[in-house]
Amino acid sequence: MSAAGPSQAMFFQARAAVQVRNKGLQKALEKAKPLFVGKRAKGIAGLADDGLDFAELRTACEGIRRRVVDDLDVWLEIFEERARASGAEVLWASDGAEICSHVIDIARRHGVSKAVKSKSMLSEEAQLNEALSAAGIEPVETDLGEYIVQLAGETPSHIIAPAVHKTLAEVEALFAERHGRPLQERTAADIPLLAAEARAVLRQHFLSAEMGISGANFLIAESGSAALVTNEGNGRMVTTLPKVHVVITGIEKIVPTLEDFATLMRLLPRSATGQSISNYVSLLTGTRRTNESEGPEKTVFILVDNGRAALAGSDFADMLRCIRCGACMNHCPVYFSLGGHAYGWVYPGPMGSVLTPLYTGIENALDLPHASTGCNQCGAVCPVNIPLPALMHRLREIQDERALRPLSERLALRAWGWLAQHPALYRWLTRHAARYLRWLADDSGRIRVLGLAPGWTAGRDLPAPPGKTFHELYAARKRD
Amino acid sequence: MRLALFVTCLVDLMRPEIGFASLRLLEGAGCDVVVPPGQTCCGQPAWSAGNRPLAADLARQAIAQLEGYDHVVIPSGSCSDQIRNVYPQLLADDPAWSGRAQALAARSYELSCFLHEVLKLDRVPGEFPGSVTYHDSCKGLRGLGIKAQPRDLLARVSGLALSEMPDCEECCGFGGAFAVRFGDVSTAIVDRKCESIAAAGADAVVGGDLGCLLNIEGRLRRRGDLRTRVLHLAEVLAGEAPK
Repeated sequence: MSAAGPSQAMFFQARAAVQVRNKGLQKALEKAKPLFVGKRAKGIAGLADDGLDFAELRTACEGIRRRVVDDLDVWLEIFEERARASGAEVLWASDGAEICSHVIDIARRHGVSKAVKSKSMLSEEAQLNEALSAAGIEPVETDLGEYIVQLAGETPSHIIAPAVHKTLAEVEALFAERHGRPLQERTAADIPLLAAEARAVLRQHFLSAEMGISGANFLIAESGSAALVTNEGNGRMVTTLPKVHVVITGIEKIVPTLEDFATLMRLLPRSATGQSISNYVSLLTGTRRTNESEGPEKTVFILVDNGRAALAGSDFADMLRCIRCGACMNHCPVYFSLGGHAYGWVYPGPMGSVLTPLYTGIENALDLPHASTGCNQCGAVCPVNIPLPALMHRLREIQDERALRPLSERLALRAWGWLAQHPALYRWLTRHAARYLRWLADDSGRIRVLGLAPGWTAGRDLPAPPGKTFHELYAARKRD
Repeated sequence: MRLALFVTCLVDLMRPEIGFASLRLLEGAGCDVVVPPGQTCCGQPAWSAGNRPLAADLARQAIAQLEGYDHVVIPSGSCSDQIRNVYPQLLADDPAWSGRAQALAARSYELSCFLHEVLKLDRVPGEFPGSVTYHDSCKGLRGLGIKAQPRDLLARVSGLALSEMPDCEECCGFGGAFAVRFGDVSTAIVDRKCESIAAAGADAVVGGDLGCLLNIEGRLRRRGDLRTRVLHLAEVLAGEAPK
């Protein structure tokens, strides 16, 4: 599978240890979590007002996405033909490098020196901003969160809330420095002022950029359109003002019909932000027509594989249904203890724990499939019913099959497994273990340090057992 | 009715009282309870680690031990999930065992499910003068649909008042090997659980899975909460052991 972008996912454990102690980050996450969870819950509960049922809709959405993933090549052909018929150009990219070379090539052909971007996680997979800068083309992120992240020289830490890891004070300090103005005291009431400040800067970029780059939430096969679901309005500017519009999407983003798109839209905004519909929903088809006053003169779709095609028909095909709502990370206890950067690559949270190993190499992200308590809070909220814990589990199995786990871990598991298959010996050993654990405990019946599991007792006291096992006591009871 | 009690490896080693409380509840309801002597572990640690062959070996061992009874009762949502939901898929391709795995899965019950759905217990022996808050363990809740059963049973405990904590369905951060492998992340998660428990202000937090309970109790004590008791559902329903 293709390697996309330098991944830091091998260092999850070390990065997690840093992030879990990052006070600013923890403060930001603590604020965001109830908002994400509460808004989604309200949004899903609101379905009933429209006479809709979550379980039924979810089955319908799952079905639509399954239909596409099962016959991806057919739908892609239909989309390509319809998009071309509407006047757009369709290009294919097998990996991030090819995305970059396509975009740079288009930019050169059209004399582009500046490109405004609306959110695109695929451009993160390709590290497109770095490539554009190196080619002398200035990329400007226009989603507020992405703009903040770009100013800070960072990467997004969440797929729909890229700057969720930043506190208000951090954004104020960043804007003061980068916009060349004095630092001010800010409260939450001032957030619109900061947004307006960013808007004023971005306005100039919208008007001067020759190219707009966007992702697409969906590609509609029957009409050859890109569907864009946004809240800030920047997506409209990016896709209509510059003379060239480049849409970069994964090949799995197809939906067959507009009707299907409407069905998915019942759950996408609700799952993401709790909204019954996002502030803007754009359907972009072809180029500016003769009777239209705005829109690009040139529209190019770049349809990207970057590891996706290999998932079709594999044990991980379910993952291709993903509609990038972010609900899995919004409900993940691990994500909300660490934020997104700990995960080390483009996609954080449960979806990242599945996608990062698949797209960057299973051997390059060994911790991620294990970075889950198995709680299935992600699977329970997924609008297209992706069994995320089962996919992480399958990755764990592959690690085991390929002997990728540390030797000490494999030996310990093997020894324990052997013992568990020899009940008489197991009984003898657990009897002694119960006594040993009792002996380790202090007067209050707690074990403060356990050498066998130091990670456990670093943050907890282990309540000590009474000193005799159940089976030992039960045998004695039967004798009496 | 002849039952097998699968006490689980964690209860066997760490808190045998939960096994005896389960026995008292089941025998008190008139069941003939056997504790099959060769039982060790359901194999979930091997399954979670991704070691499918070892998990399958342990599943076959447990099936051989536990089949042949009218029902199997397990005082743990997590181990029940392993037997009910994992065994059948784990052994699906093993013609000699897949039928046996399915048969056992269909006969196996988490304790509160069994008391509530099969025995339809309307009286429980336990008394608890105080308030408790219930932690929904993940595998029980999302794997087996355990939500109302323990609460209905707790409502029958004389003197007991249920005080729900906020986010009672949130994971406690245990996750088996997860809590050892990523100890500090697990601690951050269980800290949020401890705050929820504190917000409920109950005398005890009650749950159906010893793993979660050890995790929660361990963190509560380290944080300095020496007051809130941490109890398994079986212990509360059965009441104090006769001395």
